[in-house]
Amino acid sequence: MTVLDVRNLTIHDARRRALVTDASISAGSGEPLVIIGETGSGKSLVAQAILGLLPRGFTVAGTVAIGGGAPIAADRADDLRRSWARDIMLLPQEPRAALDPIMRVGRQLAEAAVDRSEGPGAALMAVDLEPSVARLYPFSLSGGMAQRVLVATALVGASPVVIADEPTKGLDAARVARTADLLKSLVREGRALVAITHDLALARSLGGTVAVMKDGRIVESGPAARVFSEPTHPYTRAWLAADPSTWAGCRRCFDMDDLVLAAHGLRFGYPGRPALFDALDLHVPRGGVMALTGPSGCGKTTLGNVLLGIQAPAAGEVTWAGADPFRDPAALRRLRRRYQKLHQDPVSVFVPHRTVGRQLADLGQVMPGFDVTVVLPPLLERLKLAPALLGRYPGEISGGEAQRLALARVLLMEPSLIVADEPTSRLDPLVQKEVIGLLRGLVDERGMGMVLISHDLALARATADEVIDMTNDRRR
Amino acid sequence: MSPIVQAVSTRALQALLTAWVLATLCFAFVHALPGDTALRIAAARVGEDRVTAETADRIRREEGLDRPIVVQYGDWIARLAVADLGRSLVSRRPVTDDLAYHGRFTLGLGAIGWLLSYAVALPIGVLAGFRPEGWVDRLSTAVSVGIASLPSFLVGIGLISLFALTLRWLPPAGFRTGAHMVLPAVTLALGLAAFSIRIIRNAVVEVRSAFYMTFARIKGLGVRQAFRSHGVRNAAIPVATFAALQFAYVVDGFVVIETLFNYPGLGELLVKALLARDVPVIMGAGLMIGLLYAAANLIADLVCLTLDPRRAAQAAA
Amino acid sequence: MTAPSVTLGRPRARRFPSASLALVGAMTALAAVGPFLVATDPNAQDLLRVLEPASWAQPLGTDHLGRDVLARVVHGAPRSLGIALLCVLAASGVGVALGLAAAYGTRLADAVIMRLSDLMLAFPGILLALLLSGFLGGGIVPMLIGIKLTLWPQFARMARAVAIGVLQEPHVEAAELAGFSKHVILARHVLPPVLRQTMTLTTLGLGSAVMSISALGFLGLGLQPPTPEWGAMINELLPYLSEAPAQMAAPCLAIFLAVLGFTLAGQAVADETVRSESAP
Repeated sequence: MTVLDVRNLTIHDARRRALVTDASISAGSGEPLVIIGETGSGKSLVAQAILGLLPRGFTVAGTVAIGGGAPIAADRADDLRRSWARDIMLLPQEPRAALDPIMRVGRQLAEAAVDRSEGPGAALMAVDLEPSVARLYPFSLSGGMAQRVLVATALVGASPVVIADEPTKGLDAARVARTADLLKSLVREGRALVAITHDLALARSLGGTVAVMKDGRIVESGPAARVFSEPTHPYTRAWLAADPSTWAGCRRCFDMDDLVLAAHGLRFGYPGRPALFDALDLHVPRGGVMALTGPSGCGKTTLGNVLLGIQAPAAGEVTWAGADPFRDPAALRRLRRRYQKLHQDPVSVFVPHRTVGRQLADLGQVMPGFDVTVVLPPLLERLKLAPALLGRYPGEISGGEAQRLALARVLLMEPSLIVADEPTSRLDPLVQKEVIGLLRGLVDERGMGMVLISHDLALARATADEVIDMTNDRRR
Repeated sequence: MSPIVQAVSTRALQALLTAWVLATLCFAFVHALPGDTALRIAAARVGEDRVTAETADRIRREEGLDRPIVVQYGDWIARLAVADLGRSLVSRRPVTDDLAYHGRFTLGLGAIGWLLSYAVALPIGVLAGFRPEGWVDRLSTAVSVGIASLPSFLVGIGLISLFALTLRWLPPAGFRTGAHMVLPAVTLALGLAAFSIRIIRNAVVEVRSAFYMTFARIKGLGVRQAFRSHGVRNAAIPVATFAALQFAYVVDGFVVIETLFNYPGLGELLVKALLARDVPVIMGAGLMIGLLYAAANLIADLVCLTLDPRRAAQAAA
Repeated sequence: MTAPSVTLGRPRARRFPSASLALVGAMTALAAVGPFLVATDPNAQDLLRVLEPASWAQPLGTDHLGRDVLARVVHGAPRSLGIALLCVLAASGVGVALGLAAAYGTRLADAVIMRLSDLMLAFPGILLALLLSGFLGGGIVPMLIGIKLTLWPQFARMARAVAIGVLQEPHVEAAELAGFSKHVILARHVLPPVLRQTMTLTTLGLGSAVMSISALGFLGLGLQPPTPEWGAMINELLPYLSEAPAQMAAPCLAIFLAVLGFTLAGQAVADETVRSESAP
């Protein structure tokens, strides 16, 4: 039975720009519907429109029918809001912000319950939480627990439609799988699940119907199995091809005598906790790419900092071109600029109140004989960056460009090794593919070494010559 | 409850420490002063023109001002421990008597002014918070920014000119009848409300735009129900904390207000003692004011701990 | 859809920046050039012409000693405002320096500085200035010390919080990896946001310093007569409130406009800071 039917939804912002054009979707009981798209594709706006939660000043046209009722004009936010709890429920992107910080979880669950006689225990058990969680306050829940509490909230309510907004944002692969299982429990309960996501892995494991959005339009929709195996729209095809798990791996062998970085017997741990890593060896040859992967908190970034001479290891040694940066201060000074880092958030490697161009030129102050006017133009061309970007402030630059500018900044120092810490985790898949391709190309051209840190095992495998999985330190 | 007890006792200790530092500072200032303390006291007691070297010497001996400073300080602290603050150099009355007498007036005025301010600020602040940018909000913002830009003695002077001198409804100064309390209390209340209205308004606005309020609606609660069960409690935390802290502001404000209205509270006592250099009274009043201030801070902490489980958990950790 | 909110009010647009600018500008001009324009001696007494109403020669009338009120208000401006500026500059200088020291220094230095500021914040604000001025017999120096002591902890706390936040940002690490010195990082990365954030405190602090100075003057514990200071003028004129309301109104209005100007300017600076932080 169709419980959600959205017809010809069109949304304009306050400046009359079309953000969503003529989107129609429908979902039935016990079925997942996945709306998948990149940042800015308009997918979240569709959810906001269905809930009657569009920002003020936006105009919307089209109809929404929820719970088998009559279609409601989408611009009647008050009528749409009347279906809250009765017909529709939301699993928000920031689960903890949805919980009253000073009320116990159990009472908040009870507020949503249809059957008030039943305690919160059963619903919590259904989402694999201890019944005692009911007595906790939201601040002592982890993000994952909070999400489970919200799923339990949807379970105790009666609404046949549940919208999940970016349920896997910022999660690593293992947690994505767990979240998918959690969401499937709603489907098994006979709810219609509308998942808004950018995550192919989640879409794949949920199944059901998939609608692909690009620039405010649904470019392709159909059963998940069909869309993923035989995509018809070129955009869908490009996107699927950008998924690292489909890339051709490129594992090469190198001359292990020409190392830019070596480490032996590294150990690091915070006091009072088990060591993050112990007896760890690694070697990065000239032109080689080494990937560090594992769930968040496994010590990837810390290891990267140890390799860069930022944090001293508890035991073991790091060797840069034959010298140990922790024991040989002169070598550290001499080689400092040869060992560089590419940060996760490219915008934040630039000081906010200085133009990017000035900050690149600033490097001349620490590098004798450096002439930015000579070195920079060919580099910008190689990175496909417009020179006009140099006049902008960091806040005025988009993600992909910012990452390439950050790369330009690092390359100006002619590094022998770059530690790239989640360089693409904030980028959309198509941009990710481009940036990764660029990085690989540069490693080959310049004969650098690279250490790629990523929580995405598929990306690590597709990019690197060797992968260290830090979950249990297994080489792959 | 034990972590709360612990947090409170830490705070109480801190409060005592503050009061002690304040009293010691008073003592230090007095003795660091240039010139002859005994001579100044004599001048205060018998009049500037009749002071002689003999009177000064007599006072020096009587008050023990010829002993080493450390001894005087130790003596003062020892007597402090048994609640003996000495005698006023001018009136010869025990300082504790003076403090008890004037303290009553201050606490009475403070309590009335504080209650009055919240009787005004709560409804206005909540109304403004429910309609941000509405006329209540705009008007109350303009008025409270205006009042906040006036030192309390200007507010008081304005009220005196209007209600006492022009309309002749109320007495301008003094303390004999209840009517004498009205103008100082209103002056105090206006000064407090100028700030608390904004705090209340912002707390209400913030809570109303918090996502958990929207989510409570999505869960099926009505607007009123959502505000009652989630809004009020969350908005109460900053407001109650601020209200308790404002009691400390009362301490700040009454010095000026009491002097203006010639109202016999602690502030007036302190200012008169400062002008007369009546050292034991200055130190006693300083100590008392410090204690009141610290007590207000302590209450603010307690309020926060009881209302906010996050703070309680932090205190426990 | 980051936490979709039923939008209940836009973020505030910039509030009254032009009004505050005009007020602060006018007050600065009054303090800077006023005394040169109004040549009348503010302390010249004329006991035959006391408490006279406004006239062409004396636009704001005369006080109880026959002194020209306009001249006293104008000549009071550099004192009231100048001392306030001195207090706040000293407080912000000391506060920012100590805050940065706490952020950069060892744990011990951090703990000492922060406990010290806790202790200062636990003091009733005006009391300290009152005690100092009272004991040291009025004058600029005790007032300066007293007000500065009550103001610096706010600057220290904010500077420390901002600096600690900035030091954790990737651009600091990136600059370190590029081999920039600690001084360059302090000057280029840390100081600008610290100063921007403390601007609000500086402006608001000016307002509260003007209030404290006039309150001390009013209590007879600030600048001593016959110095033309606004608070002291009010103290002197208070007994003649019913006979000479206009003369009283002049210094009152001066204090009000100065504090209002700084309050609004502080608000405008705060709005501007928030706006520039949240700009894309």
